[in-house]
Amino acid sequence: MKFIEKMFKSKMKSSASNSENQKDVNHIFLSKSLEKNINLIKKTLGESSDIVIREFFAGEDGKIKIGVIYTDGLADKTLVQTFILEPLMLEMRKTNLSANILSKKNSFEILKNYVIPKGDMKDVSDFEYLFTQLLSGNTIILIDSYNKGIAVDSRGWESRDVTEPTSQTVIRGPKEGFTETLRTNTALIRRKIKDPSLRIEAKQIGRRTKTDICIIFIKGVANDKIVKEVHKRLDRIDIDGILESGYIEELIQDEVYTPFPTMINTERPDSVAANLLEGRIAILVDGTPFVLIVPALFTDFFKSAEDYYHRFCFSSLVRIIRYFSFFITLLTPSIYVAVTTFHQEMLPTPLLISIAAQREGVPFPAVFEALLMELAFEILREAGVRMPRAAGAAISIVGALVLGEAAVMAGIVSPAMVIVVSLTAISSFVIPSYNLSITIRILRFLFMILGATFGLYGISLGLIALVLHLCSLRSFGIPYMAPMAPFNLDDQRDTIFRLPHYRIFSRPHLISQKNIIRQQSPLIAKPTPPKDYE
Amino acid sequence: MKGKQILLLILIVLINMNTGCWNRREINELSIGTAVGIDKSEDGYLVTVQLINPGEVASEKATERTAVTTYRASGETVFEALRKLTLETPRKIYLAHIRILVFGEEFAKEGIGKALDFISRDHEFRTDFYILIAKNTKAEKLLNVLTPVEQIPANKVFTSLKISEKAWASTYHVQLDELISGIISEGKNPVLTGVIIKGDPETGMNISNLENVDPPTTIQIRYIGVFKDDKLIGWLNEDESRGYNYIMDHVSSTIVNVPCENGKVGIELIRTKAKINGDVEYGKPKIDIKIWVEGNVGDVECEVDLTKTKNIYALEAKVQKKIKKEIESAIKKAQDNFKSDIFGFGEAIHRAAPKAWKELKTDWDRREFQDLEVNINVTVKIRRIGTIMKSFQKEAKE
Repeated sequence: MKFIEKMFKSKMKSSASNSENQKDVNHIFLSKSLEKNINLIKKTLGESSDIVIREFFAGEDGKIKIGVIYTDGLADKTLVQTFILEPLMLEMRKTNLSANILSKKNSFEILKNYVIPKGDMKDVSDFEYLFTQLLSGNTIILIDSYNKGIAVDSRGWESRDVTEPTSQTVIRGPKEGFTETLRTNTALIRRKIKDPSLRIEAKQIGRRTKTDICIIFIKGVANDKIVKEVHKRLDRIDIDGILESGYIEELIQDEVYTPFPTMINTERPDSVAANLLEGRIAILVDGTPFVLIVPALFTDFFKSAEDYYHRFCFSSLVRIIRYFSFFITLLTPSIYVAVTTFHQEMLPTPLLISIAAQREGVPFPAVFEALLMELAFEILREAGVRMPRAAGAAISIVGALVLGEAAVMAGIVSPAMVIVVSLTAISSFVIPSYNLSITIRILRFLFMILGATFGLYGISLGLIALVLHLCSLRSFGIPYMAPMAPFNLDDQRDTIFRLPHYRIFSRPHLISQKNIIRQQSPLIAKPTPPKDYE
Repeated sequence: MKGKQILLLILIVLINMNTGCWNRREINELSIGTAVGIDKSEDGYLVTVQLINPGEVASEKATERTAVTTYRASGETVFEALRKLTLETPRKIYLAHIRILVFGEEFAKEGIGKALDFISRDHEFRTDFYILIAKNTKAEKLLNVLTPVEQIPANKVFTSLKISEKAWASTYHVQLDELISGIISEGKNPVLTGVIIKGDPETGMNISNLENVDPPTTIQIRYIGVFKDDKLIGWLNEDESRGYNYIMDHVSSTIVNVPCENGKVGIELIRTKAKINGDVEYGKPKIDIKIWVEGNVGDVECEVDLTKTKNIYALEAKVQKKIKKEIESAIKKAQDNFKSDIFGFGEAIHRAAPKAWKELKTDWDRREFQDLEVNINVTVKIRRIGTIMKSFQKEAKE
């Protein structure tokens, strides 16, 4: 993998110099002249039509010159009107503060403390901060002859309501999902965990997008070292823009050159809450409903939020089915190809005859047939995702009829191959996390080539390599294959099986290292009904 | 340095590619063989192969063509003959899935040992097929007979041998490893079950054979062929075959008929267990055979009152006598007619007295086996008498 990095190194160097043309307004402090300040704002923002700059005279004799600046669309207009403009322009005249205002000495403090009835207010003294506040929807109030201004929280833009998550649906469980607004998302988590030690630490990443990011964890439960590591890795990021949590994921993950995801992403507040309680750390990014959770282990991608809501026996069964279908979707086409082209003696005789009869007249070798059908399926799937909704029905008809029926009828593919491909396709949807099923889609093609060139020998070599690779992965320092390798007996209660809640009394050992016990001992916690009802 | 490492890695991958694919073959490039027959010919062996027509076997519509096709070729060795078959067959013959290997009777009388070498040496054969002798005919003829119900004749022979062995116990399946170890062993001779054509072999070849409700030609599994080393020397009849199987502990279930007042009673054996013990007393070998049999009354066609235990005991005694007779007749035939130790008595002696065996083995088959003293001890238990108590014939009479 090193040589790939080398290839891109030359490009990296040229992009590093890019950051230097950015220092225009950074760290320039506000001047005392309102005119100068407003001119600089106008110059920096250019002719942007959505920036509203309102200059007026306030106070008894109109002696104080005030400038109010906000971004149309991001700031709530009625809020600006009733809580900023009206008090400044109308009510200030009525109030009997003339003596103080005339003195001009502390009109800034008076404005801040007596005039504007708003909760969140910040002092602004340099332009970098001013622009960040302005462009995230806050209203800036500048007063002539003061070299600082006030940023009043007035954010209020059109946003999507809290709706049911589309990517992780459940039958039983909360139906709310995150939205694109960071504040709404943090509120959704707070509502689940009303614990004073829930920490929501904010950060801003992206030189130009200035994307708000929140790191959420429960102090005392989460591993401090990992929290520190998350901060360290996030601080290392120097990029112009973060548009989705996927950017963050790729920039802070342990190993880039792996098909396996080392971070969980979810749209569901309940699964974020559950993970926080296990001692994990959530990273929320403004502008996306997908929340990152670290550290993530291989087995976590087989868990669904619903597992904990249904009865434990059913959840265990479903989990076993998921692990099983992981292997089906990864290996079925390759094993089919390997067995039918190398190891015919392994098939039971009646099955061999039946497959031989089906392959009678098929013009392609089995490998080619398998690659063709898998490719066709991947194309169909991709088309189904990208297409406008209205055309969806057409795709399914084309897919089912043309690729299934017609191809078999025409004798281009054998019916057995159609069964193999549909089995892999269906199994791949069983895995609850989409990013792991993408991984399997990639690996499946690799295994098919291995199976077609070396038979089962190749497939077993491939599996060995896969296990080695998985064991070498780390997610924020935690071994990816835990609790299988290194093995931990206690954590098996919630890995392949899901035992009843009273039996899962400890948090995953490697993830939450100091506050392990999550409930009282199972002997006491076991639900016991009273013996007599008289 | 790094560049060299990558180059090396690529080379290693490429080397693997060169070795790959050497035995890659598509299923539809193979002719799947289901049976191999070996006969004698002028220059050596006549090898017959029964191949499947997959299209016919699995097709949904009935076709005019047969489910199998046979090809034959002769050669000085079995291997040569098999390879010569490709002159005729459209595809490479794939023999991993053969269900039966059939030797012609004539060929078997001259010795099958040489032909077996190729079959046990070649890597392609799975060794789970059954080996049989085509009684009174050539293997070539037998493989040409089409069978109803089971489309593939070799499969029919395979399954009916398996079923008859379980339910009737006068046949026995022999696989390659057992046959070879029987030939090699000094204290045991092999047997092979026979298979015969009932009816005219010529009509059996034609698809019209299948168009009758009562097919004129069928294949039947019958009798056990006795070998001396690798040569067929004779046949055991039905009762003797069963007697042989009792001794060898091959019986899992069978029916024993015993006479009673004005009719017969059929006993279904449900469990048998046999044990052969060898011993040498004063230089003289001796064999003890202990057989435990459990059975149920299955069919009462006479007037016997099964509610009385003494009648059950009487039945047990009759069954015991009958089984013992079958066993004795099998031993007698092997000792007197064939002089071939098919029961492995020699091996039992070897196990019991290895030192004495060293002297005995030199003329075991010629002398010692014929004079061998065999004690047979049969224990019979009747467990259940079925769902009715009295036979209704008896009730009608009363």
